[in-house]
Amino acid sequence: MIGNFFASIGAFVLGLVEAFFAGLSIAGRTFRGVFHPRGRARGEVLHQMYQIGNRSLLFVTVTLGALGMVLVFQVCLQINKITGDQSQVGPEFIRGMVHAFVPILTAMMLATRVGAGIAAELGSMTVTEQVDALRMTGVDPVDYLIVPRFLASMMMTVVLGVYATVIVVLAGALMAHTAFDVNYAVFFVFEKVTWGDLGVGLTKLVVHGGAIPIVSGYCGLSTTGGSEGVGTATTRAVINSSLTVIILDFVISAIGLMTVQSGV
Amino acid sequence: MAGRVATSFGNLFAAVGAPVLALCAEVGGILTLLFRVLWCLVPPRFDLDETWRNLHKMGVKSVPIIVLTAFFTGGIMVIQAAVFVKKFGATSLVGWGAGYAVFREVGPMLLGLMFSGRVGSNNTAELGTMVVTEQIDGLRALSIDPVRYLLVPRVLSMIVMLFLLTILGDVVAILGAALFGTVLADVSLASFWVSFSQNVHVADVVHGLIKAAVFGFIVALTSCHFGITVKGGAVGVGRAVNNAVVAAALGIVLSDYLLTYALP
Amino acid sequence: MIRCASLSLTLSHRPVLHELSWDLAAGSVWGIIGPPASGKSVLVKTLCGLFTPQRGTLHVDGVEMTRLPEPARVDVRRKMGMLFQNNALFDFLRVWENVAFPLARQDPELSREELAARAGERLRAVGLAGSEEKWPSELSGGMKKRVGIARATICNAPVLIYDEPTAGLDPVTTSKIYDLLTDLRTRHASTVIAISSDIPALRRFVENVLFLHQGRVLYRGPEAGLEACEDPVVYQFIRGLGEGPL
Repeated sequence: MIGNFFASIGAFVLGLVEAFFAGLSIAGRTFRGVFHPRGRARGEVLHQMYQIGNRSLLFVTVTLGALGMVLVFQVCLQINKITGDQSQVGPEFIRGMVHAFVPILTAMMLATRVGAGIAAELGSMTVTEQVDALRMTGVDPVDYLIVPRFLASMMMTVVLGVYATVIVVLAGALMAHTAFDVNYAVFFVFEKVTWGDLGVGLTKLVVHGGAIPIVSGYCGLSTTGGSEGVGTATTRAVINSSLTVIILDFVISAIGLMTVQSGV
Repeated sequence: MAGRVATSFGNLFAAVGAPVLALCAEVGGILTLLFRVLWCLVPPRFDLDETWRNLHKMGVKSVPIIVLTAFFTGGIMVIQAAVFVKKFGATSLVGWGAGYAVFREVGPMLLGLMFSGRVGSNNTAELGTMVVTEQIDGLRALSIDPVRYLLVPRVLSMIVMLFLLTILGDVVAILGAALFGTVLADVSLASFWVSFSQNVHVADVVHGLIKAAVFGFIVALTSCHFGITVKGGAVGVGRAVNNAVVAAALGIVLSDYLLTYALP
Repeated sequence: MIRCASLSLTLSHRPVLHELSWDLAAGSVWGIIGPPASGKSVLVKTLCGLFTPQRGTLHVDGVEMTRLPEPARVDVRRKMGMLFQNNALFDFLRVWENVAFPLARQDPELSREELAARAGERLRAVGLAGSEEKWPSELSGGMKKRVGIARATICNAPVLIYDEPTAGLDPVTTSKIYDLLTDLRTRHASTVIAISSDIPALRRFVENVLFLHQGRVLYRGPEAGLEACEDPVVYQFIRGLGEGPL
């Protein structure tokens, strides 16, 4: 049983390394496809943007709204125990949302919603040989399938991130006002947000948004073994893109801390 | 003209009503499942061997992913704490900030989402395949109650497993936070430890662990519900997996909102 | 036309093709038969360059394929039309767009109207006039096969590959499909490769047969010589006997 356990850890690490390099290769081909567009269907990027937005708008609203309330509640509770001075809650909360919480939470939600969708779609195209048929006519599946989703997801993640920030801040303000009597005027102070914070937040959204379709697209295209394979590909896409988002978020946070956010 | 207006209104109502009805049906199904599971628990009537097998399988499957997630989550949280305290020069707050956030909110939440992606979606796919290949009907034909034999063991295993994994995750996250605090934010191990041990209370840990157990329950109920209600062959399994992870994410966030008030 | 010499292919640590040599003259008609999972589909996909063999050589119309990078293989694939086992109709495109897809790739200058006209003409040829605007999901199994055949043949490629053209179809539809394939062959004089499990119908259609078992060739030659083949696997399989090595 113990040996079994270590074997599973070893297999996991090996799989991770393998997937990492395969993912890098897909990422490279995607970037090349972005700059050398070859025979992409017209309007495909817009269509994908609509799909992503339509699939996740309500989901992001509900989850991020609830999270905004929870986070303000926890912070105010703790401050009440120590100083009782709630005047800084709003400005610091808004700042933390912009450069940290909104990018990672939005991206985690999109990894679940959008990543699973992409993997299921491309996975079933792979097992029904539609991907082979594309290659037969000289179409690169990465160019044709992943590049439009990559561009669309990158743009829509930024749009949804901005929207999520609005939702989170509104929900937080509502909570602070109703439960802790914080004035709206005291809460809505945006001066604490520096250009560095904004830059870190936007970079995270762009990078996460680009990573989700690459990771889940790779999971979809590498589907094997009939229709059960599609289920496996979907679950792999959710877990791999969530993990990728967490690790990338950590890397960008660390770089941000050492560069643009160091002096503030 | 009036007729056309009426139909377009009809369409609008249909467009709004159909998803709402579908949502009600799913929620109702989950609640029914909840009662059927509870019915089998008092007095306990379920398969012990199957429970043990599931515990083992879920543990082996998710330990690596939980450890990785927790490690980087600790890193992300310590960076956020560092960005916040840097301008006050109050490095003594870093250990407290990271520990508080990880134990009460971010830890259970992110680990719950990853657990849902790994174990929950796998469970849905497994049960769904059993439905599609008529194995569930096979059990019924042998007069074995699928709820008692398949579902209750899984529900119990997921509650226990996510609880235990969150304990492990908390420890790893704090180690990660301490490590990255030293490396990236110039917070010495000693000052991290002092700030952590003096300000983070057992109550914070308990708060997070209760949440973890509830999240485990929610992941279990949603994944079992979408698994046993699969329709439409193998394609249906993929769709069910997708719905299950989204429903679990919604359930986790919304119950987090409620639990934050209810718990000390 | 196609010449492969000692091709060996391994997929995810499992050997699929083993030291396979095969020579197809231009204009010949071949059938590939063999038990399930003997490597038939993988073989024809390898001929199109969709899989890269680890050892051996593969010449298509004089071009060595195995060491070509993916973009350069496109020119070779243009010489081939393929009907896939699962039809592989693009479910995000309408029927006529599916049929016109290879043509649009081959000649980007063609206007939408010209593409629609050529696709409509091809759909009439396979007996599906009037289905242009439907979606693939609205078609029956036999109709999907016909759309797949229309798409495979629209470019008038010199090599046509049919992977299971009649799997899952009733006997009447099967014979109609083979009539269609025979008709297409006499009109364009292409090299044809067909895979099928329906051996009697396939043998009426082809001139030569390749028998594949566990990635090895057990018989290769004229269809008429299959009866005389003494290999026990071939003997059992073509007669459908219950007893034997299989």
